[in-house]
Amino acid sequence: MSNIITSPSHEAFERTTTKWGSITLFIGFLIATSVPFYLLFVAHANVNFGEILKGFLAVFAVYGVFYIVEPLTYFPILGPAGMYQAFLIGNISNKLLPSAIVAQDTLGVKPGTQKGGYAATMAICGAALIHVFSMVLFVGILGTWLVTIIPEPVTLVAKLYILPAILGGVTVQLIVSLKQIKSTLIALGIAALVILVLIPLVPVLSSGDVAIVVILTIAITWFTRNKKVTDLKATEGGDNVGIN
Amino acid sequence: MVLASESADYIGLANAPVLWILAMAVMGVVVIQSLIYMTAVKKNAESAGMTQQEVRTAFRAGGVAAIGPSLSVVLVAIALLPLFGTPPVVVRVGLIGSAATEVASASIAAGTMGASLGDDTFTRGVFIVALMAMSLSGAGWMISTLILTPVFKRSSHKLEKVNPALMSIIPGAALLAAFAALTFRELPKSPTHVIAILVSAAVMGICLFLAHALKMPWLKEWGLGISLVVALIASYFAHYAGLGIPEA
Repeated sequence: MSNIITSPSHEAFERTTTKWGSITLFIGFLIATSVPFYLLFVAHANVNFGEILKGFLAVFAVYGVFYIVEPLTYFPILGPAGMYQAFLIGNISNKLLPSAIVAQDTLGVKPGTQKGGYAATMAICGAALIHVFSMVLFVGILGTWLVTIIPEPVTLVAKLYILPAILGGVTVQLIVSLKQIKSTLIALGIAALVILVLIPLVPVLSSGDVAIVVILTIAITWFTRNKKVTDLKATEGGDNVGIN
Repeated sequence: MVLASESADYIGLANAPVLWILAMAVMGVVVIQSLIYMTAVKKNAESAGMTQQEVRTAFRAGGVAAIGPSLSVVLVAIALLPLFGTPPVVVRVGLIGSAATEVASASIAAGTMGASLGDDTFTRGVFIVALMAMSLSGAGWMISTLILTPVFKRSSHKLEKVNPALMSIIPGAALLAAFAALTFRELPKSPTHVIAILVSAAVMGICLFLAHALKMPWLKEWGLGISLVVALIASYFAHYAGLGIPEA
């Protein structure tokens, strides 16, 4: 435990989060994966290995690309520390990132700065604890009772429209918080073009749609930046005026 | 009515005490991870010019912002309880993935055995195959994150050395792009999806304006919860006015 005596530094933060982030993610993976194996061994259900493989491959065919694409898409946003949180907890676009955006907006700090990163990490911790509390109390303990009293139409609407109901608000808060007019216009333009035009024409690309938008937006923002401002200012904490 | 007699026989199994322990252990791992991370931020915040007060504010803002999304995820998770039993739902929805992904995975896997969710073709065997497929798929995300993160980290350090401005541009642009894309992806689904997005965006706009104009910073934190609830209420009326997804 060499990190006990160190003075405050970003290196110490990265060391701790990389080590314990990956350990906790790995333990989470072990426990979660043991659930179906336990059932398989106690259930006497007449399930053979072939059926399991077939079921998994069918799911893999749909989601396999995302195992690579999602970490790639979210890494520039979350940074290494946040990756181990996000891919343990899940609910990244509907819960964790919105929380990070709200916290950065509240403190008035930018993503990509060290302070912005710490604000995001604390926000995700706050979101994670609320997440655990709500899962344990409302699903674990009260779930079987709640399922009998919540009207089915309400559950259906929540299921169908959670995502758009979150995304509209988060996107507005993000745009207001970042105040990067040029990047915003580029992102919206590319998103409209890719999602509404390119994907319907070339449906094979659909699993990579968000990643395509992210990569194109980064590239265009990068190559059209105001070099005099951004390249001189470097990273430390300043307002990123140069890319507006 | 959803549960046929044969399905009910695996529900007892799915609620076995061992699985409850595993489900609580998984939630415990999330809590422990968060505590470690919080300590790491508190200890090193100074190096980024961040006060302990700001650390607490960020934590509270993140927690408050997560209330609305958490409750709506709870609603969906509860709807899955009769189908999968409580511990499997806590593990699957509580860890990597989301309610939507898990339901899709389960129905795809069930499909390979000629069964479908929620009717009496969904037997004990199908349940186990479906849960196995969901779990292995979730494991895919976790393992590839464990492998890829150090790789990405090395290459981003290299990029940063080439041009420090990169890291001041990429995160913001990536966030804007990701949310623009996710939002546009919802638009073509139904008129109600469009309404949900617009109402949520408009309510957030009002909240942020009021937060600024009336100097009420708490509205920035609660804005997401308020937008979410108002947008879901609007969606409720739009959906039952016939503007929703046709067959859902």
